[in-house]
Amino acid sequence: MTTLQKAGLILGISGFLLPFIVTFDGLSFPGHLALSIFLFAAFFWMLEPIPIHATSLMVILLGVGMLSAAGPIFNGMDPTLAMDTYGFKPGSAASYVGTLANPIIILFLGGFMLADAAVKFNFDKNVTRVMMKPFGTKPKWIMLGLMTVTGLLSAFMSNTATTAMMMTVILPFMASMDKNDKFKVGLALSIPFAANIGGMATPIGSPPNAIVVAASARAGHMISFMEWIVLALPLVIIAMLATWWLLYSMNKPSVTEIKLNQSSKWDTSIKACLFYMTFGITLVMWVTESLHGISSNYVALIPIAFLSMFSVMEAADLRKLPWEVLWLVAGGIALGIYMEETKLSGWLVSRIEWSSFSGILILGMFALIGLVISNFMSNTVAATLLMPLAITIGVTQGGTGLANPTLLALMIGLGTSFAMVLPISTPPNAIAMATGVVKTADMAKSGIWVGLIGIILMLLFSILYWNNVVH
Amino acid sequence: MKPEYLIICVEDEPEVLDAVLRDLSGFESHFHIEGFSSADAVRDFLTASSAGTIHPALFICDHMMPGTTGVDFLVEVERFGLADGAKKMLLTGQAGLQDTVKAVNLGHLDFYLAKPWTREILVESVKGLLTAFIRDNGINPLPYLTVLNAEALTDSLRSDRRLTDR
Repeated sequence: MTTLQKAGLILGISGFLLPFIVTFDGLSFPGHLALSIFLFAAFFWMLEPIPIHATSLMVILLGVGMLSAAGPIFNGMDPTLAMDTYGFKPGSAASYVGTLANPIIILFLGGFMLADAAVKFNFDKNVTRVMMKPFGTKPKWIMLGLMTVTGLLSAFMSNTATTAMMMTVILPFMASMDKNDKFKVGLALSIPFAANIGGMATPIGSPPNAIVVAASARAGHMISFMEWIVLALPLVIIAMLATWWLLYSMNKPSVTEIKLNQSSKWDTSIKACLFYMTFGITLVMWVTESLHGISSNYVALIPIAFLSMFSVMEAADLRKLPWEVLWLVAGGIALGIYMEETKLSGWLVSRIEWSSFSGILILGMFALIGLVISNFMSNTVAATLLMPLAITIGVTQGGTGLANPTLLALMIGLGTSFAMVLPISTPPNAIAMATGVVKTADMAKSGIWVGLIGIILMLLFSILYWNNVVH
Repeated sequence: MKPEYLIICVEDEPEVLDAVLRDLSGFESHFHIEGFSSADAVRDFLTASSAGTIHPALFICDHMMPGTTGVDFLVEVERFGLADGAKKMLLTGQAGLQDTVKAVNLGHLDFYLAKPWTREILVESVKGLLTAFIRDNGINPLPYLTVLNAEALTDSLRSDRRLTDR
């Protein structure tokens, strides 16, 4: 265990015990219990003495034990009495455990099924091969092509898996390049950066997006699949182009031509075709929600059911799905519910007189905090910890104007995805770093620029665009 | 980085052992490399308490040696699980067909390299075997991208989902 992990262990346990020892003015008894869970989770998630998905499960366990009617504390207590005494109705254990099957979790599960099936049939490699063709052989356009494909794939697959796949495309070429060619650095950074940015394009692109959708839904607005794309895609495209220009001008090539050798063939087996069909149907249903009215969360049951039914994804494939990501998100959603139900988040934000701040300042502040802290921790965790506070501020501000809950949630979620300064910021960055081509200083310099561009773009989008469509 | 895995070279002729170790020096940054003059010496080393913390990744074994032959030793390693998951290479000029068959069938030999070898071929083969070792044993491949087959290792990241978004 590293020193940081030890510190996390001690701080997490101390934080958990604190509300049992100290009584905070204006915070109810259930609020104290929720604060206990919050402090424990915050330190454990940030410093990771145990894996972050394990902390999430602890959050659910502690919630059921300490806050639900099924736990020892509120077991058998009359709800009316609890309401009169604490202003809190003991939660239902089923709803806390139910976060593991929250509709947004089902949406992600559907996405995972499609993504893993895509890898199984080399769909991702084939898409890359076909899409790279029009970009020719000039280094400048090759880089844009690689970023475009990476962004597109990572909007549907995990950013990490996309980065790993795209690295296999550029590694042979990078190995053949001159040792001192700066363009190598640019290429090696372009892939993870494009993956991080591409993950913002759809709700299933990256786990923090799930926290955004879940939080916004609890505040009263369900962001549909298509609505997310309409909101985020223009931002993604502009950020991608800016990043491309930045990386290219900072790392000019000495070669004039790049040839990527890719040999892969479309899989035409029956199972592969069933996958293509399922993918097509799901995608069409996702983006046409406004026509048929079926929530994208439940459309996700189509790939889950179809791919299982046709044995495209077999039991062994199901076992390999990244379940821990779903647990991580579920714990984050659960913590948000506890903080809201016990009014802990209201108590926390009431420390500051928010009405004296302008909406744009609040938005910018949360986006910036999200961006900064998630450079040092999991993006999902960063979003999870900020979200309940932001949503509460949004709701108490009357839920209108710039600082409305949905817009705040979006700023935090996207802000965390713009964090790409350090190798530890995101797994895609770690992969790029591991190739040995990139130095931390290169990554930090470009990453800071991308973060700044991201914040500025998000604020512009809030004022000029999102503000007019999200209420 | 601090090496966690071990390459074991067994060869009774000191000059040959030196040549092998010299050829493999490029892996020293990421792997411990130990040379032994006999199978018995390796056995002692593996059973000694200090060996428990460092796991063998690859055996590179000569065949004709005093005491236990290379093939018999590799069979022993396989049968008694002395090094689960480790890859095995026979580097020899003198293993007959029967011995070689035995090494493959009972010792689960991964690679046969005939003496005399060239540095390039030895390094490439070892690179391939170590890459397979990292991939097959579910070890985080990121620290090894610079010395092993980066393409194969990143591809395993993609399909094995060893690393996920977080």
